[in-house]
Amino acid sequence: MRIYAVAVYLFLYIPIGIIALFSFNAGRHASQFQGFSTQWYGKALANPFVMDALGTSLIVAFASATLATLFGTMAAMALQSVKGRLRVAFDALIYIAVMVPGIVIGIATLIALVTVFDWLNPLLAAVWPVAEAAPRLSLGYGSLIAAHGLFSMALVIIIVRARMAGMDRSLIEASADLGATPWGTFRQVTLPQIFPGILAGFLLAFTFSFDDFIIAFFVAGSQTTLPVYVFSSIRRGVTPEINAIGTMVLGVSLLLLVVAQAILQRGRKAG
Amino acid sequence: MTDRKDFLTRQEFMAELYRYKKGSVTRRHFLGVTGLGLATSVLGTAMPGLRSAAFAQGSIGDRVVVASWPNYHDPANFDAFTAETGAAVDLNVFGSNEEMLAKLQAGGSGWDVFVPTNYTITTYVEQDLIESLDLSKLPNYDAASFDARFADAGTVNGTVYAVPRNWGTTGFVVNTSQLGGLAKPTSWKEFWDMTKAEFSGRTMVHDYQLTTIGNALKYFGYSFNSVDPAELADAEKLLLEVKPHLFAINSDYQPSMRSTDAWMSIAWTGDGKQLHRDMPEIEYVLGKEGGELWSDFFAIPKGAPHRDAAYALINYLLAPEVNAKEVAFHGYPVADARVNAILPPEMLNDPIMYPAADLLNALEFGAAVTLTDPNRAELMARFKSA
Amino acid sequence: MRRQDLKTWLFLAPAGGWFLAMLVLPLIVVFVFSVGERGAAGGYVPAFTFENFLNLGARWAAFKNTLILAPLGTLICLLIAYPLAYFLALRTTPRWRTVLLILVIVPFWTSILIRSYAWIYLLGGQGIPSLLNALGLGNPRLINTPFAVLVGIVYGYLPLMVFPIYVALERLDKRLLEASSDLGSPPWRSFLQVTLPLSMPGVATGCMLVFILLMGEFLIPAMLGGGKVFFIGNALVDLFLQSRNWAFGSAVAVALVLVMLVTVAAYLRFTRRWAGGRDDVSLM
Repeated sequence: MRIYAVAVYLFLYIPIGIIALFSFNAGRHASQFQGFSTQWYGKALANPFVMDALGTSLIVAFASATLATLFGTMAAMALQSVKGRLRVAFDALIYIAVMVPGIVIGIATLIALVTVFDWLNPLLAAVWPVAEAAPRLSLGYGSLIAAHGLFSMALVIIIVRARMAGMDRSLIEASADLGATPWGTFRQVTLPQIFPGILAGFLLAFTFSFDDFIIAFFVAGSQTTLPVYVFSSIRRGVTPEINAIGTMVLGVSLLLLVVAQAILQRGRKAG
Repeated sequence: MTDRKDFLTRQEFMAELYRYKKGSVTRRHFLGVTGLGLATSVLGTAMPGLRSAAFAQGSIGDRVVVASWPNYHDPANFDAFTAETGAAVDLNVFGSNEEMLAKLQAGGSGWDVFVPTNYTITTYVEQDLIESLDLSKLPNYDAASFDARFADAGTVNGTVYAVPRNWGTTGFVVNTSQLGGLAKPTSWKEFWDMTKAEFSGRTMVHDYQLTTIGNALKYFGYSFNSVDPAELADAEKLLLEVKPHLFAINSDYQPSMRSTDAWMSIAWTGDGKQLHRDMPEIEYVLGKEGGELWSDFFAIPKGAPHRDAAYALINYLLAPEVNAKEVAFHGYPVADARVNAILPPEMLNDPIMYPAADLLNALEFGAAVTLTDPNRAELMARFKSA
Repeated sequence: MRRQDLKTWLFLAPAGGWFLAMLVLPLIVVFVFSVGERGAAGGYVPAFTFENFLNLGARWAAFKNTLILAPLGTLICLLIAYPLAYFLALRTTPRWRTVLLILVIVPFWTSILIRSYAWIYLLGGQGIPSLLNALGLGNPRLINTPFAVLVGIVYGYLPLMVFPIYVALERLDKRLLEASSDLGSPPWRSFLQVTLPLSMPGVATGCMLVFILLMGEFLIPAMLGGGKVFFIGNALVDLFLQSRNWAFGSAVAVALVLVMLVTVAAYLRFTRRWAGGRDDVSLM
């Protein structure tokens, strides 16, 4: 069984090893190794478009994850006391949001927003006091955050609801019996219990948004996220710069996970 | 050539420069009082670099977004542009005019400069997706020195929407070392027949309806631009027969040709030149039956976010010195007489870049109708999907 | 009582509004477009016709490819992932377990684009085929085939499949296994009668996650299929970003959503029998 595990790990990591290997390629092509060099890391970090794309990815991921977690948690809490058709409607919406493939969401969002903008922009220009300075709605940060946040919010609702389902109700009743305000009960009883779920939701939402290509490909407009930048780089003709970017992302993720694990371990030992 | 800077002392010049940089005086004042304006406009005819510097006196921003084709631009020229103007060039590559049109139709592309082919410009004008060009901002463009045949398509109803960049042909490249005794193919009939036989699994076609469907039509001797349903049906039959024998459907065929994964591909002039230069066994062939003659242009899409940068870049790349360097890199012929005066004679005699007259005469320019015809678009999609 | 309702409404409003604006509205637009017509130069013009749906057969190959390779890919992913998840959950010491888990998750965080790009090299003429050739096993064509796409999708989604199965197996009460062996059951029997059924929720979650993602996939077929292997996703990208037939593209999108609804509903009903009734998809 151990041999099997080793084989699977090899399968997972050999392609990654090749990526990392060619990131140190002195030659221009990502397919012929021509000597060792770290030039591509320097080039990637100095490339203003890479940094731009990275910045956009981080901002969109953080914003969409925060909004999704906030609204999703609120919705999850409210749904506890909702029955009947409203409940069914929400359940259906969540189900659809998770089940419809990202490409359909991306395309649908694109054509819906384009149609709305085509209709709204002339209107805005007509009613705005200074015609030239009328805001022109277009695809960009807003559409990215909105589209990413949708799927993330559905995820958060599912996770937090699952967490709430496993909560100990008696504690809430006890807290109320002891005279705590609803807010106090929430803050001191409910929240600590569902917090791991909220955190997990936030992290998943962040990861999903940061890594997403399909939806960003359609709705990013003139903005570029890191995955979209990598894609257009591949079309442009792959240089080892892409390998360098990939290896760096890998390294940072590994580092983050190790650090997170270390913190959790310490928490476990202390608590 | 007068130089009126001599009646301004060095201190006075620096003072004016400082005032201009601080914003206390306008560019016009600065250029006028130092005489640089006049001097530059005169010097500019001999030194194009200086011309773009004068234009870039006003900041053009930190970037310019370009939509173009594979293997079309010398990175060194972009780096030089960035060094001179401070604007970094963001290059996006596409394999067909349809993809560019689709992105522009969807809106919010964020492009400043794009490179449309001759037959698409009327459609862009109809769809209001392209801006008319202010030629005063393109001093390096000299309409008189361009061959009208390749420049005309940029002018629609008397307004200039696009300036010519380079022209070329569509043929195919074949790796002759893999022929193994077979005669080198010289016609589209041989191209398609060989794909089904000796070169099965080693041929590529473009992900681009104009060239792939066009050259399939050529197999039967039909027009490259045909939209006749019966002729298209024949072409579709051929394409579907050929599909299992294809290595890939991709407009970026250079990597596969270089790695010898593919031995033959529909190709454009410049790629043929680049491949032949690095791997002489790869030859560029124009099918006897005919094919496409095309001209590519620089244009600015409607609503470009960095218009000044767009003009600066186009102007920079059209300067004969710079354009000649581009030609040396990408291997596509340019219709600018000034550039041809600078190019080395062996390039002007290169049969890949400048094909023989009889071959050239058999070629057709692409027709606008192929871009919008739903049957051709759907045929290509069906072929790819099959 | 009224205050309770107000608070509930307030709490539901942001999420509800978001769903309406970014999920319901776009899907309605897709449905409306699907009965429209292609514009003169591409795009959409309002109309009411079912012609697009009648034309869906033109993309039959794309549907076929997806409906064969997506389930196949999911299955192969499952077969590879399950033993690994089992190993991680039940056969490793806690000390190693965290490290090994991290090693499984981390590839998932490297862009799938870049990871697939490595396979272009590995399956291309200079990779594995040249190795096989050197060993005298012929020079098989691996890249730009359905096989390459299958390898790519299994590779891409393997970590995603491992994780939920691991979580389910890790929650397994070991005492049940002890009891089973105490009662004289051989290991394979314990596995079939105790471990496997109890891990089914994790299996169901993993399979559904991977399957949904595979049905919408277009990157891996584009990169590893060389334009020759079309998934429904590729057909959609082409219809919106190249042939520009927004009406027909919307119809294909509607068809995809319907296919998903049907298959996922059937799947849930099937797994509900195994898992013993779960109301919603539990991802944790």
